[in-house]
Amino acid sequence: MNFDFLQIVMVLGTLLCVLGVILCIRTAGTRFDQIEAGDKDVNLGVAHVPALAFAKLMAFASLIVLPAGAVFLANYHTFEGVHEVRGCAGCHVMLPMANDMKDPKSGTLAARHYKNRWIAENQCYHCHSDYGLSGNLEAKMTGFRHLARYTTRTYHEPIHARVRFDNQNCLNCHAGTPRFEAVQSHKTAHEKLVSNLMICLNCHGQAHPTSVQRTPGSDDYARLTEKLK
Amino acid sequence: MRLLRWEAFCAIMGFALTQVFILVPGPYPMALFTFIAQPLFALAAVGYLVKVITDLQRHRSL
Repeated sequence: MNFDFLQIVMVLGTLLCVLGVILCIRTAGTRFDQIEAGDKDVNLGVAHVPALAFAKLMAFASLIVLPAGAVFLANYHTFEGVHEVRGCAGCHVMLPMANDMKDPKSGTLAARHYKNRWIAENQCYHCHSDYGLSGNLEAKMTGFRHLARYTTRTYHEPIHARVRFDNQNCLNCHAGTPRFEAVQSHKTAHEKLVSNLMICLNCHGQAHPTSVQRTPGSDDYARLTEKLK
Repeated sequence: MRLLRWEAFCAIMGFALTQVFILVPGPYPMALFTFIAQPLFALAAVGYLVKVITDLQRHRSL
């Protein structure tokens, strides 16, 4: 039986949250000053714990330990989930990119990578590993800003990337391969490519649908924003 | 320390929102977890720690 990380996180997270709620309800109903020294000890099987100490342990578990566990699991869920295409396509504004990528008739760079299976899985993440919640701290902060803007609907379509795409995302896979090295212009422009003075798209075409196509009301908008299959 | 009622209530709300995000991942549950559940957990932890420290100081343990 195969379990992926998502199922494990779901099961563990549910256990933690349910246990946390139960212990919190118990903690909320406890009057610590009314637990007497003479109250019956709590039998834990391996030891007898005084009632007051047990109540304090429960409070510590419900307010510190279990929330820390739940936060850890949910953050893990966040940062792993954003690696998947469906994680990106969860936001309506990203649907044009995901739908276009999966369209066999499309000639964009993303679609060519997808239909030729140059990237087997997590295609968005592979080319944008330095972006958003999957990137470094600064990129994660940008990701949180995007999340806040998306959920508060303080954005306008078509969206535009503020950050410049780092060629290193392409070079991570392509640099050094015989096909890449065989192209003279790659050698000529090597310094410019490495320093991002020239972008790969200058020669290799559009990566995703144009902003005109992604504008509400355009001929392609309805098709590009269909729910991801 | 007498009661930890509002701290427990904050944590319950945090657990509920976290549970929603874990079971139904999406931008809105993610935002609820990120911007509401986590601060609620932090608030509960701070409230708890303040009461514990106050309690220890009263009993001259600190």
